Amino acid sequence: MFALEGLKYVGLNHYLVLSGILFTIGMLAVLLRRNLIVILMGVELMLNAVNLSFVAFSHFSANINGQLMVFFVMTVAAAEAGVGLALAVTLFKTFREVNIRLFEQLKG
Amino acid sequence: MENSLLFYVLSTLIVLFSFGMLVAANPVFSALFLALTMVGLAGLFFHLEAYFIAGVQLIVYAGAVMVLFVMVLMLFDLKKEIAPFSRGTLAGFVKLVCAGALFGLIIGAAKHSTEMMMITPEQAASQSGYAVEMKALATLLFTKYLLAFEVLGVLLLLIAVGVVAVSRAKGGTHVRS
Amino acid sequence: MGQDVFEITINAVKMVAIFLLMVQLVPVLVWVERRGSAFIQNRFGPNRVGPLGLTQLLADAVKFLFKEEYIPNGANRLLFYGAPVMALVPGALAFGSLPLSMPIKIEPFSISILGMSIATTKAYTFAFQSFDIGIGIVFVLGVSSLGAYALLMAGWSSNNKYSLYGALRASAQMISYELALGLSLVGVLLLYNTFTFSEMINLQQGPLTINVMGAVKEISFLPNWGIFFQPLGAIILFSAMFAETNRLPFDLPEAEAELVAGYHTAYGGLKMLMFYIGEYGHMLVASGLMVTFYFGGYNLPLIDSAQVVEHFVGHGLSANAAAVMGALALFVVFLAKVLVFLWIFIWVRWSLPRFRYDQLMDLGWKTMLPWALANTIVTAVVILVLRNKWVH
Repeated sequence: MFALEGLKYVGLNHYLVLSGILFTIGMLAVLLRRNLIVILMGVELMLNAVNLSFVAFSHFSANINGQLMVFFVMTVAAAEAGVGLALAVTLFKTFREVNIRLFEQLKG
Repeated sequence: MENSLLFYVLSTLIVLFSFGMLVAANPVFSALFLALTMVGLAGLFFHLEAYFIAGVQLIVYAGAVMVLFVMVLMLFDLKKEIAPFSRGTLAGFVKLVCAGALFGLIIGAAKHSTEMMMITPEQAASQSGYAVEMKALATLLFTKYLLAFEVLGVLLLLIAVGVVAVSRAKGGTHVRS
Repeated sequence: MGQDVFEITINAVKMVAIFLLMVQLVPVLVWVERRGSAFIQNRFGPNRVGPLGLTQLLADAVKFLFKEEYIPNGANRLLFYGAPVMALVPGALAFGSLPLSMPIKIEPFSISILGMSIATTKAYTFAFQSFDIGIGIVFVLGVSSLGAYALLMAGWSSNNKYSLYGALRASAQMISYELALGLSLVGVLLLYNTFTFSEMINLQQGPLTINVMGAVKEISFLPNWGIFFQPLGAIILFSAMFAETNRLPFDLPEAEAELVAGYHTAYGGLKMLMFYIGEYGHMLVASGLMVTFYFGGYNLPLIDSAQVVEHFVGHGLSANAAAVMGALALFVVFLAKVLVFLWIFIWVRWSLPRFRYDQLMDLGWKTMLPWALANTIVTAVVILVLRNKWVH
């Protein structure tokens, strides 16, 4: 199945598998962790995994549109991180913690 | 052969670092692991001959976004978290299964789509001498994607204003709330 | 790396040598700093050990080595030890990508032992830098933005509030001034139309040439340096570099009156020395960038690098020896230019008082950022109007 021949040559599939692994780890971080900031980091990792697949596609199909998409994704990710961190700081000022337990206190 | 060796070393490191981010109980370590992951990804981008993207990855992700994360975490000074992972064995199991299913889906889709794209090693090898000129990137950015670029600028301005509005302490910047 | 054993060996040796050069320049700079500060403040400075106090450095090195290993209570050991090493990385990587002299072109030569020719080599070209990456500027910016981690790791792992305050101040300052720094470089990119350092340096050869709507005007007594086209950008870049290196007047992170010593309060001995090396490495990179962007790099004013090699050929050297000698001579020129900027770093440190923190932020965000933006726009418009590249 996964013979040594497949390992010797690194092709698009290898990059896509790596990207899939990273995406899954990012999603697990979002699902399992309870710290707001770690959840944000999980989202960043997922965006990065997508970036990796974009660059890999762009490289193996000799098409630079993929790299520009990475550019856009990075900008949006940076903006998202800014907003998320600002919200986290505000929450920390109010509740003295950034654990998502605090959402249990939001009823009223 | 050297090229594939570099890929395997880098990708092993990246997976290890990102796994470290997932399991580290201390969020500061999580953030530092993620920063290492970003640097490793920049290395992979270099390897894929996307030099400019690699540099931008270093500047934007490793240099700015992750520094911001680490800084905010250190500002909070959370030494150790009380409950780093969410509770519930069944819920956790379901989440793991979901993640596994998603992983399978991604891999399956990737395998299928690559078969459809029919990129054989020979074809890919013939393209490995391909390197993107920054001029080509810039030309594309300012012609085909000009509208998206402008919209992105407006988005960034909005974000900047919004972040300042959200995180502003009442009565000036140096007043403790 | 290279095609055969000879090339790979030379390249590997080159990398190590350039790293060691950076590390070895630090004691000299410490000596210059101490003597210079003494000169500015009308004192003597270290003058007892050796001629002019030069061997004071050796005594200091021994002292640093034999200091007691000390780890604060409750410190995070891994990060505490990792931070000083991390402090060295950005400076070393960025310095390695700067061209320190002209590339050495080696023509095929034959290796002979006892008069018998054994083998003839191929033609080689060795760049006088650790590694040549096509995206020079982007790489240097990216690597030097990693410097914030060392400070953050040191400050947080020391389990000390002064360290933490210093680290937070330092990183906020570095992020703020990175914006002005990056924007001031856009003018340089527009001017030279390239990301590569060596191409920029080649474009700065010869006399000052101004191209106005196709009419070329040459000013023969001035070199074609970037400073004449980008004076504002140069000033903004240099000031932002002061903030990036955390030196006076921007040394809020280690303001000793408020924070004891800032992020390295808990460090001593060799670990402290590594932070010093990191800081001086950053200064070296900053000076090297100034020289490369605005002051003609390794070239002598008005003299092409090819002419230097020809001069050595004229003195009866073989082509290969002349290439090596020319490169070494231009390396000395580069070092001299860099030393001028390093001296300005020291001069400013001992002349200006420290900013208050709000003044620092105001300067970065409200003064330097708008001016850098204005510089970018004006440069872009002028280049567009004049149509042609200014530098031929």
